[in-house]
Amino acid sequence: MTIAIVFVCIGLLALALIIYLAKGHLSRSGDLEKLAVQLRPVDVSAFCNLISVSEQEYLRENLPPREFRSIHRERMAAAVEYVRCAAHNASILMRLAEAARQHSDPSVRQAGEKLLENGLRLRLYAIQVIPRVYLSMAFPNARPVPGIFADTYDTMSRQVVTLSCLHFPTHGMSSAL
Amino acid sequence: MLFAGYYLWIAPHVFLGVFLIFLVRRKLQRELPIFTCYVAFELIQFLVLFTLALRSPFPNGIYNWTLVFGAGIGSTLQLGVIYELASELLLSRSPLKPVLRPVLQIVLAVLLLGAAGASGAFSGISVQSATNTFQTIDFSSNLIEAGMVLALFVFARVLRVSWHSWGAGVVLGFGVAASIDLVSAALRAEWGKRVFIAADITQMAAFHVCVVIWLGSLFLVGRTPPFPDGKLKISDLELWDQELQRMVQR
Repeated sequence: MTIAIVFVCIGLLALALIIYLAKGHLSRSGDLEKLAVQLRPVDVSAFCNLISVSEQEYLRENLPPREFRSIHRERMAAAVEYVRCAAHNASILMRLAEAARQHSDPSVRQAGEKLLENGLRLRLYAIQVIPRVYLSMAFPNARPVPGIFADTYDTMSRQVVTLSCLHFPTHGMSSAL
Repeated sequence: MLFAGYYLWIAPHVFLGVFLIFLVRRKLQRELPIFTCYVAFELIQFLVLFTLALRSPFPNGIYNWTLVFGAGIGSTLQLGVIYELASELLLSRSPLKPVLRPVLQIVLAVLLLGAAGASGAFSGISVQSATNTFQTIDFSSNLIEAGMVLALFVFARVLRVSWHSWGAGVVLGFGVAASIDLVSAALRAEWGKRVFIAADITQMAAFHVCVVIWLGSLFLVGRTPPFPDGKLKISDLELWDQELQRMVQR
């Protein structure tokens, strides 16, 4: 009896979740102009500074331990925010890439393919990086973010510029990054 | 009740036939061949069961075993379709493949274990051998299918993967039907014959909804999303120029 009720609840919950996720998926706007406005600026240099091991070591050596831990926590909180913004921008650029993949020009299609691949890669990195940054907040000795995250974001920004150069309207996305 | 029962048995298969015709006419069977086989199999199974049901006297044993074998083949094909859809929608994208493949395998293994454990725990599964086998297959396949579809939707949402193809509608149809079927299969497995008719009606209604979603996805969602035209604007040119200058200064 109990097990049947458990699976009835699981079934109903699964139904509600599937409908909710599908609804969110189908209702996503296809207007790139509106999406471009939602881009959040990310300063890659500032982000690299936040996750730099040498910066971390410098602060550790020159600050009292208590103060270092407090500042490290603040730096890592800022780094999480950067990662979230980068992941958000990646999802928008992936929409641009999807549109570029349908273009008649093969070079635009190829650029869109590369941008999409990097967007997916960046979102995968973001999923892995955020828990590691939180871990680094608790244990300041752990290295939070691999440098490849910043590199991938930088590559993506360059690919948007490449798309622009290929006469594909990016609605100002390249400058918003 | 009798009319509702016959309607829910016949109408979804008529719609499914229409769906298959349009699928083949648009040459979409090449995109999802296992799904096309599954649709064809569902239609053949319906024709065989319907013919058996019209025979007098009603061949109870043959009908039940046909149902069991049909459920077995149908469940295998459904799993194949989910694998096909996962490949089409997620695994075909190169950065996702090495990460998502093992995750999906783990999800499948957990669901299989859950289905095996729960099937043994239900008290209603012990009446007749054919019914017993059918209930086990029915419950397990629905649990696995609903879980896998949910996992696909979660991954697509987290990674913001765009599903503009009609495959998204196929996944949604499977997900809705499997989760409703899971509810009725759990009730049938626990209370046996007492809820057989109600569970059957619910499952047929769920399949009807599923086929309507598939038809809708073929005609509505399959349209390509709007994307910008290739015309060059002066404002865009200026922005590109600014961006290029900024990058050169880096």
